Amino acid sequence: MGFGTVLVANRGEIAIRVMRTCRELGIRTVAVHSTADQDSSHVRAADAAVQIGPGAPRKSYLSAPAVIEAALRTGADAVHPGYGFLSEDPDFAEICAENGLTFIGPRPEVLAKLGDKAVARALMTDAGLPVLPGSPGTVDSAAEASDLASRIGYPLIIKAAAGGGGRGMTVVRHAADLLPAYRQTRATAQAVFGDNRVYMERYCDSARHIEVQVLADGHGTVLHLGERDCSVQRRHQKLVEESPGPGLHPQLRSAMARAAVRGARAIGYTGAGTFEFLVHDEGFSFMEMNCRIQVEHPVTEAVYGVDLVREQIRVASGEALRMTQEDLVPRGVAVECRVNAEDPARDFAPAPGTLEEFVPPGGPFVRVDTHGRAGWKVPPQYDSLLAKVVCWAPERDEALDRMDRALAEFRIAGPGVHTTIPLLREIVADPVFRAGRHITSFLDTRD
Amino acid sequence: MSELTRTQGSDDTFAGLDYDNSGLALADICRSIAEVVRVGPDKPRRVRVALGAASVEVEWEGDRGPAALVGPAPQEGTGAAGGAGEQILEGHRECAPLVGTFYAAPAPGAPPFVQPGDHVEKGQQLGIIEAMKLMNPLEATRPGRVVEVLVGDGEPVEYGEPLVLLDPDPAADGTDEGA
Repeated sequence: MGFGTVLVANRGEIAIRVMRTCRELGIRTVAVHSTADQDSSHVRAADAAVQIGPGAPRKSYLSAPAVIEAALRTGADAVHPGYGFLSEDPDFAEICAENGLTFIGPRPEVLAKLGDKAVARALMTDAGLPVLPGSPGTVDSAAEASDLASRIGYPLIIKAAAGGGGRGMTVVRHAADLLPAYRQTRATAQAVFGDNRVYMERYCDSARHIEVQVLADGHGTVLHLGERDCSVQRRHQKLVEESPGPGLHPQLRSAMARAAVRGARAIGYTGAGTFEFLVHDEGFSFMEMNCRIQVEHPVTEAVYGVDLVREQIRVASGEALRMTQEDLVPRGVAVECRVNAEDPARDFAPAPGTLEEFVPPGGPFVRVDTHGRAGWKVPPQYDSLLAKVVCWAPERDEALDRMDRALAEFRIAGPGVHTTIPLLREIVADPVFRAGRHITSFLDTRD
Repeated sequence: MSELTRTQGSDDTFAGLDYDNSGLALADICRSIAEVVRVGPDKPRRVRVALGAASVEVEWEGDRGPAALVGPAPQEGTGAAGGAGEQILEGHRECAPLVGTFYAAPAPGAPPFVQPGDHVEKGQQLGIIEAMKLMNPLEATRPGRVVEVLVGDGEPVEYGEPLVLLDPDPAADGTDEGA
């Protein structure tokens, strides 16, 4: 049974991207929006729209009751949560089910287990996935922290159990810094996630962030769609992603893919998900699993020719995946650059403003996912992501040349508007990045 | 009508009202004008809206003189307010605090909480908004006379949607004009 109407519980480029696939599938779409987004592109892209709250995300996009009400009154059968906001909230998934709505994502109990990063680490250890030396569960006292730290060794990283998305973590390099960092991370975790539990792991300075895309249906099929390299990060925030990972040994690559499939199977995962691994010293370790569509999913779509959102929707409606692992053969290289409304001169502070000029690039093998348009005022309440530029080519160098051309074409201007485009062009031209030798500290240590 | 002019001044004279922005206020005014046009004796010849000075002018054929309506017409308007044939409606809109279904009465078949002409106190219940099977009372945020209940019983409402139009009492503490 297919869905007649899908409510997209998100905003910005991802809401539009999901609606596009819905339209191709003949599904009616409903947008929800805050008062700050009355004029936003995702509202225009939908067949119907409901204003669900004021600008503050907590009272609109994060309000489960408001989203559910909007879904019920518009006759939606299913809710696509996009990424961020309610996308990995097990309570929201549960409330959807209670109201007869299909949550397009994994089951609530799976979300609850994987949302707790300490539990996820333990589960994946049990499933046979390699993890870095660390605490078996959460670290609930300073004494426990000291004891564990001496066994794990330095540097180590303290992470919020309820964290994710690069927030709520602290790297500790010396024993003297341990307890202040422990207390600070707990306080931050409490403030940001409402949960002060933390866990600890060995920290790798010289590592690559490689993640594996999986796709699972409710009929026992679990597939992988290769990896993405997301090592270009600024303070744990991804900026450039690509598939496949450059220069990865084929054996390492297939070992990671097998581990991801094994992990997804072990927890009964359904839908699209991502296993994040750290690749270091010729080995790899499980970090966390993301139970949603990722920002960087288009690079995988480009090399595999698979619409991941379409598969998410089909799986959620109970269909079996129509492809086999043998059908999934990657072709060429795809790179994504995140164009954020940020000011490099002010330490990448969000720089929202009115987009007086907004002309995205085009041409062969260039995909731009954006909610920007000329004359639109970027609201200050939300994520600074303005556009994703994705370029494909048979070879990596050609893809990067194409990316530079596309970024040069992209015209964004307005009073107070600054973007990451100049930085992205520097990265694309950087010899270390061009050689595929970049690690996660690449941007933060580069002059 | 032969002409419709929209002007938006720089001073936000609607800042004191519960509007999210002046654009919403302008939309409300336009809706009120449409209502006047609908119920008026014949089509107006000219409509002028100025948000900055908060004035609304409507001219009908046969030149019955300009009629001002809706919105707090500050200073300049009050002088002419005593003139014959003019109607001034001070409007305060009680808006939906959440998305849900509006109910005008406590139970099906029961008399509504309020009707046009009723006087309500601050905090008095005007209706119910049902969201997620929870009944949330809609209460008056200021005392006044009910001019109109703007949505029907059982209708879905969005966040911020105007539900009840009140003609507010002059403020006792003197913060409002009047008294």
